[in-house]
Amino acid sequence: MNVETFVTDKAGLNKFYEAIMAGHETYAPVEKFGKFDFNRVSRIGECNPESPISKTQSIKPLFFPRSAKVMKYVATSAGTEVSEVDEDPLAGKRVILGAKHCDARALQVLDKVYNWDYIDTDYQKRRENTIIISTRCDKADTHCFCTSLDYDVENLDALDVLVVNGADGKIYLQSRTEKGAEFLQTDVTRHASRVTKEIAAPDLKKQYDSFSGTFRLKMDYKEVNAKLSRIFDTPEFENVSGNCVSCNTCAFVCPTCHCFKISDEKVKDTGVRYKSYDSCNNGYFTLMAGGHNPRPVKYRRWRQRAMHKFVYYKERFGENLCVGCGKCTIACPVNISIFEVVNQVAIGQ
Amino acid sequence: MEQLLVPMICKVDKVIQETPDVRTYRLKFREEGMLEKFIYFPGQFVEFSLLGSGECTFCIASSATRKGYFDCSIKKAGVVTADIHQSLEEGDEVGIRGPFGNWFPLEDLKGKNLLFVGGGIGLAPLRSLIQYCIDNRNDYKDFTILYGARTSADMCYKDEIKEWQDNKSLKIVLTIDRPEETWTSNVGVVPKILEEVVKPVIENTKVITCGPPIMIKYTIQSLLKLGFADKDIITTLEMKMQCGLGKCGRCNIGSTYVCKDGPVFTNEQLKSLPDEF
Repeated sequence: MNVETFVTDKAGLNKFYEAIMAGHETYAPVEKFGKFDFNRVSRIGECNPESPISKTQSIKPLFFPRSAKVMKYVATSAGTEVSEVDEDPLAGKRVILGAKHCDARALQVLDKVYNWDYIDTDYQKRRENTIIISTRCDKADTHCFCTSLDYDVENLDALDVLVVNGADGKIYLQSRTEKGAEFLQTDVTRHASRVTKEIAAPDLKKQYDSFSGTFRLKMDYKEVNAKLSRIFDTPEFENVSGNCVSCNTCAFVCPTCHCFKISDEKVKDTGVRYKSYDSCNNGYFTLMAGGHNPRPVKYRRWRQRAMHKFVYYKERFGENLCVGCGKCTIACPVNISIFEVVNQVAIGQ
Repeated sequence: MEQLLVPMICKVDKVIQETPDVRTYRLKFREEGMLEKFIYFPGQFVEFSLLGSGECTFCIASSATRKGYFDCSIKKAGVVTADIHQSLEEGDEVGIRGPFGNWFPLEDLKGKNLLFVGGGIGLAPLRSLIQYCIDNRNDYKDFTILYGARTSADMCYKDEIKEWQDNKSLKIVLTIDRPEETWTSNVGVVPKILEEVVKPVIENTKVITCGPPIMIKYTIQSLLKLGFADKDIITTLEMKMQCGLGKCGRCNIGSTYVCKDGPVFTNEQLKSLPDEF
C-alpha cells in the first residue's frame, strides 16, 4: 500500500484543518455542556480535534443515525402509496477530524455485520465517502482498555490519516489507507511538505510504549472469550447486573452496539416508518405477542449483552464486539463496567 | 439498509376466519409480475406490515406450488395482530417484505415417510410443506398428519383438513384436549396421541413438528422415547424479529440468528444452542 507522509508544524496543522473545513463537509468534536459531540464545523475555532477521550461521544451516529426515516406512506381507502424518504444527509463526501482510534476501529467491527449477506448499502456508502483523520491518544483514560483487545492499536490502521506529534517537535501527517493517501495528495496539504522517508520507526514505537504504559485496565481477551463461551449458566450474571436500571445508555453511547427497532408513526392517513436505536437491555426487546419472552429477566439480558460482545460476535464474525473505549462505563448511572463484568464472570476477578 | 426495510404492497384477496382468534389472509401483489419474483420455499417467513400499526413476522402458510397467491395465518395475540383482526379486510392493502429465512430440507425429505405433528396455529408453517408434499406426492412414502387443538373450534384449516381426510394417500389423526359432545375422534394432548394412536414407524421417517413451545417440548420428548434420532426431528422456531436480515439483533440464540440460520432447525441443531428460546 502506498503510504504518504507530510511534515508541518503546529501552525501548519491548523492550516491543514482549515483547508479541510473550507473544501469539505467536515465533522469534528464540538463542546456543549462539557461534552463533545461530532458536529458539522466550518472553522477550527468551533471545535477541538484533540478533545478529551472521556468527554467525547462516538462517531457512530454519523454512520448509524439515532433515528432514520425508512419511508413515508399514505394509506387511504383508495390504496397505499409508499414513497422514498429525502436524500440521505450522511451519504456525501466528508471528513471526520478528532475521532479516537477505538471509535474508528468500531466501524471496522461493524463492517462485518453490515456487509454480511444482506448488504447495508447506506452504511457502506457513508463509510466509503468518509475520511477519518486523528491523532494517537497520548494516555489512557480511567476506563480505557483498547490495548487489551483484538486489534492493532500500535499502527492505528483504522484511521485514514494519522497525525503524529514527532519527537523533533514537528507534526507528521501520514496515511493509513489508500483513501487517506489520495486525500493527502490533494491541495489540503498545501501548507505542509511531502517527505519521502517514513516517520522514524523508533519514534512511533516509543510513543506507543509510553501510551500503553498508562493503562490501568488490562485483560487477556482470549481467556475471556474462551471462559465466557463455556459458562452460559452462572449465577455471576445475576451478581454483576444487579444494579442495572435498564436505561440502555450503554448501548446508545457504544460505538459497536447496532441493534435497532422499526416503528411506525401515523397521523390520519399519512405515516413515516423509522429505524431507531434499540438495546438488548430493554425488557420488551425480545417480548413476543402472546407474552413469551426468552429473556424475561435482567440478568439474562445482561448475559446477552456480555456474550454478544465477547462470544457470539467473535464466533460469527471473528472480532470482539467491543473496542475497549470505556464509553459505556463513563455513561452508566450506576457504574457498571463491561470490563469488570466480563472479567468477574469469566475469570472470577 | 433503509431500502431493504421498505415493503412491497400486497392486496388482501380473501379473508378466512379459521377459528375465533385465527384468520388466514390470502395475499396478492398489487404490482403485476411481483409474484414471479417472490420465490419462496416451505418454512420461510415474511415481515407483514399493517401500515401505521406496525410490522410482524409470520410464516408463509401456503406453498408456491399453489399459484397466484400466498397465505398468512394470523392469530390474535398482541397489539398489531389485534389491529389486523379488527381492521384488515378484503381489498385492503398491506406491506410485505421477504421471503426470509431458511426452509424445510426438501431434498432430505425425498423418499422418506413423513410424519407431521402440529398443534394449534403451529399447523401454519407445516401447511406450507404439507401442500408442497401433496403436490409432489410421488416423491414421498407414507404421509401422516397428527393435528391437535384445544377444542374443535380452535382447529385451523377445517375445510382443507376435510380434503386431506378424503385423500386416500394421507393418514390424518386429529385430537382435541377435552371431550366434546359432537367430537368422534381422539381426545388427549398431542404427545399422548402420538404414542398411543399414531405409533409411528421409525425406520426411514422424518418428523416435522410445530406448535406451542410446550407442545413442541413434550412432542420431542415422546419422539425420542419412541426411538427417533435428533437429526430426523425437524421443527421451526418462533422468535421476536424485526428486520429479518440478520441486523437488528433480536432473534439470536447464541451466535445463531433465527432469521438467517433458521427458523427451521433439526433437534440435533437445537441441542447445540444455549437454552434461551
